Amino acid sequence: MSEFLQLCFNGTALGARYALVALGFVIIYRATGVINFAQGGLLALGAYLAYALNDTAALPFALAVIGAVIASGLIGAATERVVLRKMVGQPVFAVVMVTIGMLFILEQTITSIWGFEALNLGDPWGVQIVRAGDVVLAQRDLWTIGIAGAVLAAFFAFFRFSKLGVAMRATAFDQEAALAQGISARRVFAVSWGISGALACLAGVTLAAGPAALSPGIGAVALIAFPAMIVGGLDSPVGAVLGGLIIGITQALTTGYQEDLFGWAGANFAAVMPYVVMVLILLVRPYGLFGTREVRRI
Amino acid sequence: MRSSRMWAAAAAAAMLGVAGCGGADSEEGGSGGSAAKKGEAPKTVPGFDGNKIRVGALSPLSGPVAVIGKPLTNGNQIFFDALNKRGGIAGKYKVKLVQEDTQYKPDVAVQRYNRLKNDVVAFTQILGTPSVLAVLPQLKRDKIIGAPASLDAFWVREPNLLPVGGPYQGQAINGLDYYVKNGGEGKRICSLSQDDAYGEAGKEGVDFAAEKLAFKLASAQKFKQADKDVTGQIQALAKAKCDAVFLTSLPSDSGTIWGTAAKLGFAPRWIGQSPSWIDELGASPLKEYLAKTVWIVAEGTEWGDDSVAGMKQMVADVERFDPKQDPDYYFSFGYVQGKAMAAVLEKAVELGDLSHEGVLKASEELGEVAFDGLFGDYTYGAPEERKPPTQSTIFKVDAAKPYALGTLEKDYESDAVKDFEYKAR
Amino acid sequence: MSFRRTPRVHGLMTRSYADDLRLFGSGKAKLGLLALVLAYLGLPFFLTSDFWLSVLDYAGIAAIGALGLNLLTGYTGQVSLGHAFFIGLGAYAAAQLGGPDALNLPLPLWLLGAAVFGVLVGALIGPFALRLRGNYLAIVTLGLIFLGEHLFRNLKEVTGGNSGTNVDTTATLGGLDFKDLALLGENFSFNQGYFWLIWGLVGLVALLVKNLVRTRPGRALQAVRDRDVAAEVVGVQLGRYKVGAFAVSSGLAALAGALLGSYQQFVSPDEFSLFLSIQYIAIIIVGGVGTVFGSIVGALVLGGLPGLIDKYSASIPGVSTGSGDSGFISVFSLNQAIFGLLIVLFLVFEPRGLAAVWLRVKAYFKAWPFSY
Repeated sequence: MSEFLQLCFNGTALGARYALVALGFVIIYRATGVINFAQGGLLALGAYLAYALNDTAALPFALAVIGAVIASGLIGAATERVVLRKMVGQPVFAVVMVTIGMLFILEQTITSIWGFEALNLGDPWGVQIVRAGDVVLAQRDLWTIGIAGAVLAAFFAFFRFSKLGVAMRATAFDQEAALAQGISARRVFAVSWGISGALACLAGVTLAAGPAALSPGIGAVALIAFPAMIVGGLDSPVGAVLGGLIIGITQALTTGYQEDLFGWAGANFAAVMPYVVMVLILLVRPYGLFGTREVRRI
Repeated sequence: MRSSRMWAAAAAAAMLGVAGCGGADSEEGGSGGSAAKKGEAPKTVPGFDGNKIRVGALSPLSGPVAVIGKPLTNGNQIFFDALNKRGGIAGKYKVKLVQEDTQYKPDVAVQRYNRLKNDVVAFTQILGTPSVLAVLPQLKRDKIIGAPASLDAFWVREPNLLPVGGPYQGQAINGLDYYVKNGGEGKRICSLSQDDAYGEAGKEGVDFAAEKLAFKLASAQKFKQADKDVTGQIQALAKAKCDAVFLTSLPSDSGTIWGTAAKLGFAPRWIGQSPSWIDELGASPLKEYLAKTVWIVAEGTEWGDDSVAGMKQMVADVERFDPKQDPDYYFSFGYVQGKAMAAVLEKAVELGDLSHEGVLKASEELGEVAFDGLFGDYTYGAPEERKPPTQSTIFKVDAAKPYALGTLEKDYESDAVKDFEYKAR
Repeated sequence: MSFRRTPRVHGLMTRSYADDLRLFGSGKAKLGLLALVLAYLGLPFFLTSDFWLSVLDYAGIAAIGALGLNLLTGYTGQVSLGHAFFIGLGAYAAAQLGGPDALNLPLPLWLLGAAVFGVLVGALIGPFALRLRGNYLAIVTLGLIFLGEHLFRNLKEVTGGNSGTNVDTTATLGGLDFKDLALLGENFSFNQGYFWLIWGLVGLVALLVKNLVRTRPGRALQAVRDRDVAAEVVGVQLGRYKVGAFAVSSGLAALAGALLGSYQQFVSPDEFSLFLSIQYIAIIIVGGVGTVFGSIVGALVLGGLPGLIDKYSASIPGVSTGSGDSGFISVFSLNQAIFGLLIVLFLVFEPRGLAAVWLRVKAYFKAWPFSY
């Protein structure tokens, strides 16, 4: 039992990271209808910015993270302003590919500045642990879950109670009607990218915490957050969070029990498990658990 | 009619063009098959202009694997710099290292191989198992010898490859044998390896050791390279109550693995394959955990050990030619590769033939090559008679040492490792 | 034989739809084609650098795969990130069909067999994948890459697992052994032989695709791309054409994979990653989405660029080249960044790719000296 609880805890911590990334995807998708493949690059960049502020500029860790989050938000908004705005009205394929192109540029910028060697982010959590019965809770994971929870609460409050948040929901619901009400679609787009960049940075920091864990490869986590987003439904923030947790916990349980239960599936099956879950759910619900069914107009 | 003429032409061509690929661009100049006289100065051939011998290195000099490729190539370079200073091959021929960047991609490696092949007498380094395997068919066709920069066991029986060092399997066998004979009798032993050819090599050694030492693996876990989450694997190992875990990984993942283990409070005896270590780990927040738990199985001695002739020479060469070079396992590897290639070239000069085929033939008549304690001595010769070194050195983590590794047991050789058979692929 | 005399018209003039659709345009186009054929036949006599020949060989293989992807993405409008999976499928199929330890089939049979295998797997997966559209399709085909890699790593009997497999196929056609070619009393190297084999197939596949897209099925595909609902209304069976395009595209990918395996004589699962898929998409973007010509030009440009950059990298300031060299950016990083930049710049400034640039240049000279 304690093993199961332990796996579930690890899965939740992992899922919280996926949720942060997936939420970033969903925000951009709702506002602009684009899946942002560059999210992984923004995530890694955010983590490296936090590293640079902490290590090079010698800021305290908390301040460094806040600074990096703000900077990542600005970078996200600037990307939208400079590149993506030119792509309005282009086919989905073209826009997706532009974000892939940006991913390459971001990755090379990162490695040209910071190199490929694994670095220590400088987080205060280290390898400290808290014991709850037989279950070992790593401080870093507790913080991750805490940060993700706080961000999600803030996020939903923002969409429900703030004027900008409501404007963003209105734009997502019906862009033309929102425009007619005097809502600036441009502003909504830029803010969406900004929020998404900030979320990516937080996800990056939680991923890069720990000994020698900051490397350019951490952006690859975005590839697993894709299934999380699809499972939840492309345009549903609640879905993104649930999808992240589902994928995280399934993955942790798969690694934990694979040897006993389905060794035949091949070693390291957990790496493809997110995609298997995604395909299974899509076969039953083509628009994910909470996604809006696409209406085809003739 | 036509086709039979074509056949005849093809047959004639095959007879004439024994030198290999033939083709409009062949610069082999008939040196291949012709009998060279012993003791005579070798004729000029592709890669040798009468004074200078050119050898190639196909290595990832940029990209993620450059962390390995750069020090390794620098090891090649500094060895040849020092050799040239001493006079060169046979005291008169200088060696020039020609580097090409493969970016760790097999297709790029094949292209770069094609760029260099008519410009060098041999390849002193080809880095990356996939790259070596992609280039190997062409080495065979062109009758060129190349030195792979990894410790896979199937290199041993390939006539066109010139490996150095004891294979990964041997490291695993020696490491586990040492553990079992030093208090590990009856303990629960497990393995954690990365899911690729390198990981499988380590796992093969672990399985062989399990059979020979009569223990049962309590758990065998795999992980995907560069996967940032190995919690599940570590937990499975903890669940199996492993007392010792043999680890086959690369440094970028070792950090993640040991970090995860430390945070889950799992502290078995870690026994790591030589490439799983990098000295930065010795300075990370994990250093106390690592000092308590980690052994690394490698070859030779610790960096800067003056009592070993080869190490003394290498450190002196580093200080003379590139003082910026930090202590580095991969650097030593490249330096040893240079030594092996120099031995082959000496032999080829002695036989009076520096053509591709001549160098290949020289490698078969080489016999034992001594590495002066840097790596174990290697017996070359016909592929089926080659004997790789069988002893390993067990290191423990020691932040005070130059590469953060201190010797625990030098040149340990188990009985089990002598029974391990190296098969062709 | 018709009695009506066909009057000679100026090369630029088309007088009927048939003129627009014909395969080899006007006299000038025919001349151009002749020049290409001559270049194809003659190049190995003059180009003896094994490096550039191998670059061209890889580019030709990429061109075949890109033609397949362009059929699916460019002509039918379905985004697939799973192309690398089918390339891998073809390479492993070639190892099984053409290897001496396996079936040891002759060249035409293992090539065709690999392609048919790709078509079958594509036809099997297509109906599930193509229920989804746009973004969903992109992500599901991305899943194909991960599942494929897992299979390639774990089906050890067939794929050799992580350490990969030798692809030791025969390459003999009617007495010509492309691996060791002897023609007109001269010997040709492996790279020269494969140049003829690969680029001959590029020509064949290009002809096939061109014919497909200018006839009825091709128009149906383009109708699906432009407005699927409207296409359905005018009687195009959406599902059938989408799956058909997916299957043919997969078949061409497998053909490219089979050639890749045979040329390289070895493949391992590391090669068939998402990056390979993205490379193919970049090829058709840079070359020109929805053009046959563009797929080939794109493959040549993206295949040759790294070689060129590398050659001149020493003279670009701030680029580090050797093991001891320091610079702001490494050749690898520069290559990758340029690759990304090309995708972005083409999509933002010239979404129709180099093919459109070429058409514009051609149009300019047609009307020269009148530049309007």
